[in-house]
Amino acid sequence: MAEKPLIKLINICKEYANEEVVTKVLFDINLELQKGEFVAIMGPSGSGKSTLMHIMGFLEKPTSGEYYYKGKKISDLTEDELAGIRNQEVGFIFQAFNLLQRTSVYDNVRLPLVYSDKNIGDEAVEKAIKSVGLYHRKDNLSNQLSGGEKQRVAIARSLVNQPEIIFADEPTGNLDSKSGKQIMEILQSLNEEGKTIVLVTHEKYTAEHARRIIKIIDGKIVDDFKVKHQLLAKNENDLTK
Amino acid sequence: MFKTFKKNFNLASEALWRHKLRAVLTVLGVTVGIAVVIVVLSAGQAIKDFITGQMTVFGTDWIEVEIKVPSTAHTSIENVGGLAQGISITTLKISDAEEIKKHPNIRDYYAGNVAQEVASYKEKNKITMLFGVSASFIDIDPGEIMQGRFYTEAEEKGLAKVAVLGSGIKETLFGDEDPINKSIRIGRQNFRVVGVMAEKGSAGFFSMDDVIFLPNVTMQKLILGIDHLTFIFAQPYDNSLARQTAEDITLIMRESHDITDPTKDDFIVMSSQEALELLDTVTGVITILLFAIALISLLVGGIGIMNVMYVSVSERTFEIGLRKALGAKYSDILNQFLTEAIIITIWGGVLGIALGVSLSFLISYVAINYYGFNWQFYLSLTYIALAAGMSIAAGLIAGLYPARQAASLDPMVALRKE
Ligand SMILES: Nc1ncnc2c1ncn2[C@@H]1O[C@H](COP(=O)(O)OP(=O)(O)OP(=O)(O)O)[C@@H](O)[C@H]1O
Ligand SMILES: [Mg+2]
Repeated sequence: MAEKPLIKLINICKEYANEEVVTKVLFDINLELQKGEFVAIMGPSGSGKSTLMHIMGFLEKPTSGEYYYKGKKISDLTEDELAGIRNQEVGFIFQAFNLLQRTSVYDNVRLPLVYSDKNIGDEAVEKAIKSVGLYHRKDNLSNQLSGGEKQRVAIARSLVNQPEIIFADEPTGNLDSKSGKQIMEILQSLNEEGKTIVLVTHEKYTAEHARRIIKIIDGKIVDDFKVKHQLLAKNENDLTK
Repeated sequence: MFKTFKKNFNLASEALWRHKLRAVLTVLGVTVGIAVVIVVLSAGQAIKDFITGQMTVFGTDWIEVEIKVPSTAHTSIENVGGLAQGISITTLKISDAEEIKKHPNIRDYYAGNVAQEVASYKEKNKITMLFGVSASFIDIDPGEIMQGRFYTEAEEKGLAKVAVLGSGIKETLFGDEDPINKSIRIGRQNFRVVGVMAEKGSAGFFSMDDVIFLPNVTMQKLILGIDHLTFIFAQPYDNSLARQTAEDITLIMRESHDITDPTKDDFIVMSSQEALELLDTVTGVITILLFAIALISLLVGGIGIMNVMYVSVSERTFEIGLRKALGAKYSDILNQFLTEAIIITIWGGVLGIALGVSLSFLISYVAINYYGFNWQFYLSLTYIALAAGMSIAAGLIAGLYPARQAASLDPMVALRKE
């Protein structure tokens, strides 16, 4: 491939040292993601999926190994440069939603724009809220929402600054399959616009949207394969029903 | 520049609004701190003026000779207490005053005693301070006659039973009635009123307007039954030489009292100059003391702000983590928290200044109208600026540390603190 990979991980290891216990979470992860890919990361609970996502999403640093983003070594970047990338290029949907308490849906979704240099107006906030079907709740406080609604706010927030990559850590975990499918439809269309999507999921129906599936067990990549086009086609049929 | 300020201002206001109670309590802390500083500083100024007024009611160019218990310091408890307990020093005589008057720098003097008696006119009675002074008092003292005349030297020598009323006591005994040539009773004797003094303004606790002036000799012979004096007020020609003149007078006094050991002095000489200098040291000490109190209250206020800022940072670790995760830079977080501290201190400053000025006014109002003290209300811009400046500085310094801590948190570490 002539183009540099968007993300290249070389021998990434991650361990957490708490007082005396050292927990090893990721072992020698080697991975390349190209621009425009739609990847699903799957694996049992505790296998290190979220940790890998945080590292790729510039939220955490690996203990060892190198991370190249667009060909740049990210260990050479300053904190502020990383903050800039998180704001301008990345949309992160947290597994735990991470909404601001006592703050309206609208203000939660608008939060990334506060720190953005992009000239994105407030109409983008409404658009993002509409796209997750929460417009009627936009003035509610985040703590007054149901789990599924919170999840949708988190998704809207990840979209608002028009990122190039979206990291979605179990974005449909709290949704019924109908709303889950709606969310997958959004991600799918973003991918069709050329955005890179990295998704963590347990559910098969969501994974089926991806064109590549990476399986992690105990912090190691055990499988990494492209999905046949058939599946994709079948899914598109499903959605248009 | 303005845009970032506006952004920070909005962020900080939103955050404060989300934590209204805490914000209000912090503002309150700053308010009280600043109010205390203003009250303390204005009270200090008022106390200074109060004391100075007390001193200058007798004018600013005099040399006083006063009796003193030997072997004690003039201002000591032993002296004041000794005199109060009736250790009577009977050695100060009018002949001493005549000796002092021979000094080339002394123009004139008045001498006298004080006493307390019930003064009455018709049905009205009042325990009154009697000031038995020489007729020359009216030429030397800044006080002036408003009605009638002061008594004369001839009247004094002739033991005339005449009295001059202070403006306050005239009001008390006579109201609107003309007192001149009326007879008032002082103790068991009748005195004829010959004059009323002009109002002098109350100088502190002791008002010269509530005094009755009697000829010194009359008071000595007819009321006290003594022939000695309590004080001599001498007036120098050249006040700038007062210090030297006071030393000369000390020597004159020692010679006429046959004293060789200065510790056995039964008198004390003090010039108005020295008194004012002494006053300066006293007010200086008061100022330093008040300043220390003000500083401590500011310090306490500052620690309060720091505490609240610190709690607010640790309580909001998650929020900080989230903001950083969504792209907030170090400076964004730092500025947000600093702006919060500034908003709080500015509100506290405005309210504190309002509260402090109102309290100072109230204190002065109560002191003047209910206690009759000459307690001036001061609205000093310097003090207000000082209090506001210090509070903003305290707020910034107090806010800086937690703000920096917040800004350098790792996003994921902070997010896990939920
Ligand atoms: N801060 C931390 N300190 C110590 N251990 C941690 C920390 N964060 C994660 N771990 C551990 O790392 C392992 C992987 O965690 P991670 O959240 O990546 O799992 P996951 O694959 O996302 O699981 P799930 O499907 O349940 O979300 C777990 O065993 C977890 O306990
Ligand atoms: Mg996870």
